Parts: sequence; structure tokens; C-alpha cells
Amino acid sequence: MIRIFITASASALAIAIAGLSAAEAQHAGHQAGHEGDEHAHEGETLAPTLHADIEAALREGGSLVVAEVNGMVCDFCATAMTKTFGRRDEVGAVHVDLDTKTLQLVIREGRTLDDAAIADLVTRSGYETVAIRRGTGA
Amino acid sequence: MRKSALAASCALLGAAAADARPVSYEGGWTVIGESDRESTALLTHYTPHHEWSLGYRTEWMRERDILFNGVQATHLVKRWFAPDSQGNLYAYAGAGVAEGIDDTPMDAEAAGFLGLMADWETRRWFVSYEARLSDMGEGGDAMQAARVGVAPYVGDFGDLHTWLMLEVDQRPERDEPVTVTPLVRFFKGPVLLELGYTPADDEPFASLIYRF
Repeated sequence: MIRIFITASASALAIAIAGLSAAEAQHAGHQAGHEGDEHAHEGETLAPTLHADIEAALREGGSLVVAEVNGMVCDFCATAMTKTFGRRDEVGAVHVDLDTKTLQLVIREGRTLDDAAIADLVTRSGYETVAIRRGTGA
Repeated sequence: MRKSALAASCALLGAAAADARPVSYEGGWTVIGESDRESTALLTHYTPHHEWSLGYRTEWMRERDILFNGVQATHLVKRWFAPDSQGNLYAYAGAGVAEGIDDTPMDAEAAGFLGLMADWETRRWFVSYEARLSDMGEGGDAMQAARVGVAPYVGDFGDLHTWLMLEVDQRPERDEPVTVTPLVRFFKGPVLLELGYTPADDEPFASLIYRF
């Protein structure tokens, strides 16, 4: 019985892994136009809009950093980001926008957090950095 | 009495076959409680590295009245990233002691388990698979389960997310080896709650995850 079970389990797992790889290939680089809905459809990328906490921190003199992050699909992902970055003294405010797949940070005035450090913290949160933009044009 | 109280506490808290997101962010703690048709368990784990978690697990096999206590390690073998999806493959193992409770004639025995989990999800769709082999002091046992889910609407961070899911599990040693469990998942911030029902065994399903 156990042998049959193991065989069935291995087959199911192989199918699941094949599905994961296919899904990754399908989603990589896939973007479509946005039609004005409140939330992004799968595959869409919206222009980031700044959260109120981010705007408030910017008014206090901080600098804006926006990181595009892969794999953020749920509130646990966002919680991981906000907890990890919220612990840093350099970070005045942090917000995750699941629609735009972005991590928004405000670096406190007079403090720095370079791209490598941000990418490392994203990795420690369990995710993958695609791009990092800085300044008002971010 | 003490053991019964512990098992009852476990049931009230809900508790856990290793389930959704068994590895957290570095420095994060997670409490997972789950009660399914077979057992009621509680797993509290800490994530020292983003590919590992270590925790303490208590599991009550209700029909056999066996209580397991031990440690569990979970390894994130691989994570697949895409802009709109995430896939994960986990391996886990646990070791500890199992003993009979409520007059069950079983002395403390060495016990353990190992398993694999895979999942893939977008903000709209979810699929997962888990297989576990265990020896709770009475010889080998096995289970496997697969789940599909869909979110009727897509919310942003902090919204209340709702998922409709269907789980099929196989437990070869049970009178009903294969059952289907429809369930609803509610997800908001660091809290995830699942409620369901297994008609074939007339058993409720409940799961609660809190991440901090």
C-alpha cells in the first residue's frame, strides 16, 4: 500500500513541478494594458500611486525609492516586506502595492540605503527584486 | 488529565499539518493551527533564514487518541517567481515522541514524519499538493492532498480576501480513504482563517495562521 502511495505521490508531485515551471515561463515578461479598474488584472502593471503614509514621510524630507518585486501575490508577502523594511532605522515609511507589484520606501533625510542593501532585504523577505528606481520620477 | 487538557487546548487553538507558507521572512514567527478529519495540530515556527523554518509541533490523532510532541524543520527547496505568480516547493521533517492519551494503552514511543509540499498561486488562482509519511509509534502511515482555489474578487494589501477552495485527500488506512472537503479561506494582513467540512467523514475543517 505504501509503495503504491509513494508512486502516486511522486507522479502528482512531478505534474505539480512541471506546472510551476510552465506557469513561470508563461508569466515572465507578460504585461497587458490596464482598462481603469481599481485592481490590476493578472499580467497587468499599473503606474504606482503613492500611499498616504509615503506622501506624509516625503513631506518630512525623506527620499522616495520604488522597487519592482516579483512574486508578491498575497498579504503574507506584503507583511513580510513591511516587517523587514519597517525594522530598519533608515526607512521612514514603507508600503506594498500588490496592484503595481511595487515596494515603496521613504529613506529618512540624511540616511542612505543602497540598491544592493534593498535587494538583499527583499531576498531576506523571500522575494525577488526586478528594478529599483529613486527620486520623484520613481 | 494533563494530556487530555493539552489535546483539548490543541483542538481549540486549531492546529497543523504544515500548510500555507511554512517558511516566513527572516526573523518572522508563525503560528499555524489546523484541525482536519484525521488530526488536530499546532505548529509554532521561527524563520532564521528565508529558506528554512524551525518549529515545535503538537499533533493529536483524534481517532487513535495519540498525542505527538516534537520539533519540525521545513526547507524551501525552490521558489519560482513571476510578476503575477509565485510557486513553491517545500520539504519538511519532524521528530519527537508519541504517546497514548485518555486510557489509550500506548507508552511513549519515538515518532516522526516527513513530507513534501508544492503550491502555485496568483491573486486569483491557487493550487497545491502535499504528501506526508509518518510513524506515530504504531507503524507507517501516509496521506496526500491536493487543493484548488479561486478568489471571487481581487483585493489589495490590507483588504479582506476571500477564497473558495476544494481539497481532495487520500489516507489509505482510513475507512473512507478518499474524501473531498470544500472550504472558504479568509485572509487579511497577518491572519489567514479557513473553515470547511468533510461530508464523507462528517468532520469539520478549520485552520488558522497568524504571522508576526
